[in-house]
Amino acid sequence: MKPFQNINPLTLRKMRRFKSIRRGYYSFLIFILLILISLFAELLVNSRALVVRYEGELFFPTYGDMIPGTVFGLDYVYETNYRQLKEKFQAENSGNWVLLPPVPYNAYENDLQENAWPPFPPSFKDRHYLGTDVVGRDIVARLVYGFRIAIFFSLGLLLANYTIGVSIGCAMGYVGGKFDLFFQRIIEIWSNVPFLYVIIIISSIVVPNFWILILIMAFFGWINITWTMRTITYKEKAREYALAAKALGASNMRVIFNHIIPNTVAIIVTFAPFSVSNGIVALTSLDYLGFGLPPPTPSWGELLQQGWANMWAWWIAGSVIAAMIVTLLTVTFIGEAVREAFDPKLHTVYE
Amino acid sequence: MHKRYFSSLTAALFLFVTAAPALGASSELPEDIEWLTNREDPVFASPEAQKGGMYNTAIASFPLTFRTVGPDSNSSFRSAILGNQLSLIGIHPNTENIIPELATHWAFGKDKKTMYFKLNPDARWSDGHPVTADDFAYTLEFMRSEHIIAPWYNDYYTKEIDKVIIYDDHTLAVVSTKAVPDLHLKIPIGPTPRHFYGELDESFVQKYNWKIVPNTGAYQIADFKKGRHVMFKRKTDWWARDLKYFQNRFNVDYVKYTVVRDFNLMWEHFKRGKIDTFPMTIPQYWHVKSNIREVGKGYIHRIWFFNNTQQSAQGLWLNQAKEIFKGPKVRYAFAHAMNIEKVIDQVLRGDYYRLENGYVGYGRYSNTDIRARRFDLAKVTEYMTEAGWTRGADGIWEKNGLRFSVEVTYSNEEHTPRLVVLKEEAKKAGLELRLQKLDPSAAYKKVMEKNHDVAWMGWSTSLRPRFWEHYHSVNAFKPQTNNITNTADPELDPMIIAYRNSLEEEERIRLSIEMQEKIHQIAPFVPTFMVPYVRHAYWRWWRLPGPPGTKHSSDLFPPFDSRTGGLFWYDEALHEETKEAMKRGRPLEPVTNVDKTYMMPFLK
Repeated sequence: MKPFQNINPLTLRKMRRFKSIRRGYYSFLIFILLILISLFAELLVNSRALVVRYEGELFFPTYGDMIPGTVFGLDYVYETNYRQLKEKFQAENSGNWVLLPPVPYNAYENDLQENAWPPFPPSFKDRHYLGTDVVGRDIVARLVYGFRIAIFFSLGLLLANYTIGVSIGCAMGYVGGKFDLFFQRIIEIWSNVPFLYVIIIISSIVVPNFWILILIMAFFGWINITWTMRTITYKEKAREYALAAKALGASNMRVIFNHIIPNTVAIIVTFAPFSVSNGIVALTSLDYLGFGLPPPTPSWGELLQQGWANMWAWWIAGSVIAAMIVTLLTVTFIGEAVREAFDPKLHTVYE
Repeated sequence: MHKRYFSSLTAALFLFVTAAPALGASSELPEDIEWLTNREDPVFASPEAQKGGMYNTAIASFPLTFRTVGPDSNSSFRSAILGNQLSLIGIHPNTENIIPELATHWAFGKDKKTMYFKLNPDARWSDGHPVTADDFAYTLEFMRSEHIIAPWYNDYYTKEIDKVIIYDDHTLAVVSTKAVPDLHLKIPIGPTPRHFYGELDESFVQKYNWKIVPNTGAYQIADFKKGRHVMFKRKTDWWARDLKYFQNRFNVDYVKYTVVRDFNLMWEHFKRGKIDTFPMTIPQYWHVKSNIREVGKGYIHRIWFFNNTQQSAQGLWLNQAKEIFKGPKVRYAFAHAMNIEKVIDQVLRGDYYRLENGYVGYGRYSNTDIRARRFDLAKVTEYMTEAGWTRGADGIWEKNGLRFSVEVTYSNEEHTPRLVVLKEEAKKAGLELRLQKLDPSAAYKKVMEKNHDVAWMGWSTSLRPRFWEHYHSVNAFKPQTNNITNTADPELDPMIIAYRNSLEEEERIRLSIEMQEKIHQIAPFVPTFMVPYVRHAYWRWWRLPGPPGTKHSSDLFPPFDSRTGGLFWYDEALHEETKEAMKRGRPLEPVTNVDKTYMMPFLK
């Protein structure tokens, strides 16, 4: 049995074509790698130790409840400071040890110093590889956790937008007539609402969380894909295979879901990467303006804002701008490659 | 100069003696009043001051109107216009005694609600008309008019100020509706020119949007271009220029306000010398941004001036209507979980001071023995354990399904860095702060409706401490009052009422001090920061008197304002010297002054 037996040979060809576009393909791999890294960020960038060996016992603090300092013989009941614990164990040299993640800071804690004021420049000694922000939080940690939020935000938004947009667009194209006209007018009105202002107004009254923000943005974001879906559905509906299915007695549902939508996937997929980058940019700009996710959520927009207000602290603006360029370039390269690989002109022969 | 002052004084007396009988029995001046004046207090301007020059400053947006009442009039530019309107009497910024402004003499009525005034016969409007007692009567008429569309003023001048009695052109009395302590802070209203406004009608708001109203102060608007700039010109023959407390003040010939819409841009303008001074109170500007060549070479000087004035009650206001804050122990624990000192030392560069109490800087009315509760994990544990709470798996205190987790509502983006540090520190104490940043009006609404857990905010100050608004039980548990902590304490209430009703200064001071202690015990408020100073950067050719400001100066370069304004002056010789040095790149001595003349004693 071949693994891809069930996949349409045309799709296989598209995938092969995609793989052959080197720039896009490697971008895709990098992008997947970034997501994977961010999923396991707690193991790489965290103030909690990976492993602690204390009095012969092993602790794995990364996931799970916080371990108060008293467990390790310290004099406080709040969460153990593992960096200090490590130093203490090293000084005692008693066989206890702590294994810290490569970046031993989380995205929230303020690593402040005596007689010096944040933002602190990058330092290998302190393991602040990209320095700290204006309240002494590690920039690597803010970037990594901020990336995780931004990427899942924009994937969530994509899913929400496309679910609504594709359903409505498809229905408009398939049902046609008055239904189509009615929704066209609705969408025209809807798309004239200045959505950024609406979001700003809403989020200045209620503090949005992750899901509310997706909901608000999806409320206005589904429109774009509708027009495209409507047009394709009109086109596909009139083609022979759809008519044939209809003639064989297939229900409308079956025609839509088994015949029309699979044939429009190619188009939807080419839009997706650009929507992802739009989602990231949208969240970042909202955070930049102070209307996004509430502080202290790690966010690129907030870092950008800090960087702008503190231009002399080049490492803040520098890191976040570099991170944005890398992410957005990767996504755009993927988008380009997908568009090229799925280009219908390469796969159809017009007679 | 003194001679002229005396002669005007005798003129006023003479006028009073001859004119009073003529008015008849209906407005007879009481015989037993004692006329007071003040020529003994020290002056605070510098005799070295020279007249001349142009002072350039910036405003963030052009005012929507030049009216000072009615729609859109409440912009920051309003103070520039009002700064050139004198009142009957002023308050000396250092001694806090009454000093003459438009009136030369004043007297207190026996009923404790009337004050009598003798106007300076020299007083002139900018259009040359003399200022008469009728102009004060007109103020009441004007402020009570429905045509000015200013309900607050309509109300105040009806419910608070009862009437103005005219005895003759230069003698009048102003009557309050009720006897109040510190009558002299309330009564001195300003004149309004009847000859300019005449009868008001519906067209007032439209008609007077851009009219330049005659004033009694040192400057008048000479030129403006909407959206761009406003230029004020000094009156060379200003009637009050030689009065003791106005001598050597208001020195520059022109004051130009230019619209610069962005604060960062203002800084750039200042660096190029397009504006003359720049506020430096923000730590970032003082410590980092002002490390520029012009400062290093001494072309721009810096000054750090400590004042001793009423401090805004800034901090965390706990809503006692919320279940979590019902018991005092939890409130104490909350206060001990706030690591304000860490924020001051490690985020604000040690520049701010800990506010110890909600009433700092009120002179003898302040209880300076109170110390705000400091960050102390042991005390948090002690209070929380006593109140029956235990630590949960995530380290946060818990009791009967309730977590020690509260929402902190705030609206100033600049304060986020402070709050995130407090949040991380509070976590160590087993308290979770959930930060909620709202738009200012949304935050205000939430707090006024008493829907907050904790409000992060500050109150504007008043001349005397106010308790009734903030702590009396009649204002608790109902929306739209300033008792945002819902404090309702049976012991505190009678003290507040006694304080409010008392007309005896000593009793009021005693009560004020006792009540502050009581409020400290109730602990509905965690005081955070105060900034008992002002900092500026200014181009070298601007000179300040010595000491550079007054006890109550919150700005060293206000061009107007009869109380503390206009003390600085332009030194042309220094300007030429500096220009020359800049041209040749010759360094001058860098200057950063720290003046502690008026610093609060307990900070030293």
